[in-house]
Amino acid sequence: MTVTTSADPASEPDGFGPFAHLTVPNTPLYRQVMQVFLVAKERFAVHLRPEEVHAALPADTRPAEPEAVVAALDRLVVWGNLRADPDNARVTAVEDFYRKRFIYQLTREGEAAEAALSAYDEALGRRGALQAVALHDIVTQLRALLVLAVEDEPDPAKTHLTLDALASRFAALADNARAFMGSLQRTMDLHDVEDEVFLAYKDRLIQYLERFIQDLITLGGRIARLILELEEGGRVDLLLKAAARREAADASPEETADAEREVYERWAARWQGLGVWFISRDGRESQARLLRGRALGAIPQLLAVVRALNERRAGRSDRSADFRTLARWFAEAPDDDARHRLWRTAFGLYPARHLTVDAGTLAARAAKAVPAATPWSGAEPLRISPQLRRTGSYERRGKPRKVEDREARRRALVEAAAKQAAETAAARVRLVTDGVTRLSDLGELDPASFGLFLQLLGDALATWRPGMRHTVATSNDGSMEIRLTALADGTTAQVRTLDGVFSGPDHRIEIVDLTDGAPDR
Amino acid sequence: MTAPLAEVLDGQHAADLRKAARALLKHPLLLARGRYADEFRLARRHAPELREWFDRNTGWSLQVDAETARLRKIPGVLTDPTHPAREASRRTAPFTRRRYVLLCLALAALERGEAQVALGRLADQIVLDAADPRLTATGIEFALDRRDERLDLAAVVRLLLDLGVLRRVAGEEEAYVAGAGDVLYDVERRVLAGLLASRRGPSTVHAETLDDRLAELVAETALDSDELRFRAMRHSLTRRLLDDPVVYYDDLTDAELGYLTRQRGFLTARINELTGLIAEVRAEGIAMVDPDDDLTDLRMPEQGTHGHVTLLLAEHLAGAHGPVTLDELALRVRELASQHGGFWSKSAREPGMETELVEQAVARLTALGLVSRAPHAVAARPALARYAVGETVIREPGSAPVPPQRKATS
Repeated sequence: MTVTTSADPASEPDGFGPFAHLTVPNTPLYRQVMQVFLVAKERFAVHLRPEEVHAALPADTRPAEPEAVVAALDRLVVWGNLRADPDNARVTAVEDFYRKRFIYQLTREGEAAEAALSAYDEALGRRGALQAVALHDIVTQLRALLVLAVEDEPDPAKTHLTLDALASRFAALADNARAFMGSLQRTMDLHDVEDEVFLAYKDRLIQYLERFIQDLITLGGRIARLILELEEGGRVDLLLKAAARREAADASPEETADAEREVYERWAARWQGLGVWFISRDGRESQARLLRGRALGAIPQLLAVVRALNERRAGRSDRSADFRTLARWFAEAPDDDARHRLWRTAFGLYPARHLTVDAGTLAARAAKAVPAATPWSGAEPLRISPQLRRTGSYERRGKPRKVEDREARRRALVEAAAKQAAETAAARVRLVTDGVTRLSDLGELDPASFGLFLQLLGDALATWRPGMRHTVATSNDGSMEIRLTALADGTTAQVRTLDGVFSGPDHRIEIVDLTDGAPDR
Repeated sequence: MTAPLAEVLDGQHAADLRKAARALLKHPLLLARGRYADEFRLARRHAPELREWFDRNTGWSLQVDAETARLRKIPGVLTDPTHPAREASRRTAPFTRRRYVLLCLALAALERGEAQVALGRLADQIVLDAADPRLTATGIEFALDRRDERLDLAAVVRLLLDLGVLRRVAGEEEAYVAGAGDVLYDVERRVLAGLLASRRGPSTVHAETLDDRLAELVAETALDSDELRFRAMRHSLTRRLLDDPVVYYDDLTDAELGYLTRQRGFLTARINELTGLIAEVRAEGIAMVDPDDDLTDLRMPEQGTHGHVTLLLAEHLAGAHGPVTLDELALRVRELASQHGGFWSKSAREPGMETELVEQAVARLTALGLVSRAPHAVAARPALARYAVGETVIREPGSAPVPPQRKATS
């Protein structure tokens, strides 16, 4: 395989030569010329002479000289859009005879290119319309099929034509629906849409959606029922086969069998497509339902756009333009003072500003009103604190205090805490009785131990109820347990402390340190 | 004895109304969420009353919805340049030409845009808009590829964040400035919609000079009856009394002065009723002074180095006869630094800082209506005389302070 490095632009090795006229100067002229050929073809005129083309061009864009048209035609021939054949028509002037003369016709490539371009134009220009009419047509055709299907031998011609019409209506509907969904999305993503355009579109869209959704709901159900009716007992198969047979009849004799099968398969696929469109099957939602959802969803989206527009116009003029104008004014302002004035006036975001007055001055004025004709210099002034006058601060400012070194105090605190902990521990050790003893046997207690003892006793006595002789209580912090049993012998116990003697009825007592590792019972 | 319930409720209502009115005067744009949520709720609750008051007395419209409360203030005078836009986060330098233009281009892009925007995308749109021939004709251009340009954009965005037009979703402006990232914002269309306060859209104004443009922005309909003219006068005077520190009689037209003279008591009483401001009426003008010292963005006297320098220079200016040049003031600052410099910030004591200190002090005094400035000189205005230093109070241990009041010679 050799790589061709063609330098000749006219030869266009990639096969898209017929599109070359889109990327050169004078594209509008080329396209108009091609349009002339298409129009002519619709009237079954195949060949055109240059002067005919010239005459057929729109008057406002027609080149003054026919030669320009000839040149355009020749370029189009080079690109492959047109074919030039020698013109054998009789001439009436000598110079015409000597002039090289051609008649032109569309090539297949040229025609394909035009078809592609018109599809392109159409797709861009199309807003996408839902066809309520198409739904009605589909119903009609399905009814006709139902009538045909009743017969034992459906008329192949009628069947084929009906199916064909059905297929084409359906294809159009599906295409349009696709375009509609696409354009709906585009409209919703409004960026720079003019208000008026949008509002007009909004009204039309809502009306349209209302009508279509209504049709889709009523007719969609009817269509689904008709489809199911046709499919009942495989009746539709008969119809499809009849149509396929008729269509395949045109095929060459040796291909008939194959062709019939192929055509039938195609028809079956189309039918299935129709079914999928209107009937939800196998857990998949029908297209019609999706479309309905999308169309319904379009309304809230539309409302959101309306809201955004309303917010934008909550002020008055186009505020974006307002801000751009202001930007220019700020840039044009002669100096900073002018800009500050503009800022204050346009935005009005400045705070109020007022002089102060103190309570003393006010009271003095209330007592003795100042006549309005007094000049400021003649009225009792506002006193400023001499402190403020001297130092610029109401607070007395001495030397800043040195940063205090708290290490020593911190250490003292740690020591105190450690000492306290040790004392508590000692007190507990002191209090713990080895087994049951009597209050009177506790002997002398140091202040720490006595404090602890009083707490414990308090906890225990708090549990006393009338008639109780024995109690067990745990200290508040859960570290000690006291068991107290009242004695009936009427003796008195005395606990001596540094501060005095604690006395009361004697009890049998046992104090256990619960934090002690060894269980004590 | 307790007051009757109805009286208490009335008092409460009046206090809330006053608070809401003051909040709106201080922050004409209040948001339902953010720093001023409480004030917003008050303003919303009292919206009908406030709307009526502002509409009748000032001609300002108040718009309140579920998200924003916006008092569309129009200044009483269009010539006051002392309210610049400032970068929100630092409250530092006023906006420059580039920042103002960027701000407007950003708003234009946001206005057209979607509910969300990324800073990078916003920058692209600004660059596109900035290519408008009418804008490039003024010699301004943005490519937003240099760091300082991106810093400008970041400052603009911070202001928009502060106003509540944008809300940050992800990212940091710093990263964008460094060229290392992007930021995503939600656009609050409601806030954006209420940002312009002018009566007319700027795009509908075709005047060529700045003064004409400003006048047309706020122009009311034709005033073809005495009643309308009086109403316009009442609006403009009330606006000035509500917003500006001092209204000097010699700044007014004869008609305005005549109206103010006749209606002074009525006007100031209405303002007092709503805001609690108290009229200080003097021979030269009227100042609505604030006992709460809260309804203002600038204070005098004020603590701190700049406040102190301002106070000292005010004293100097009040004592001077006639205008004082800026150079003289700078000299005075140098003298003052030797006496009081010990209390000033370190940077203020550095030599060469005098000019800037003078500049700041004069700007503050001008903004407060206490001095007027010419290009190179400053002159005291009458209201400057309302300040004087109090007698020194010596507190002795154990004895109650006795404040003798005597007018000090300043």
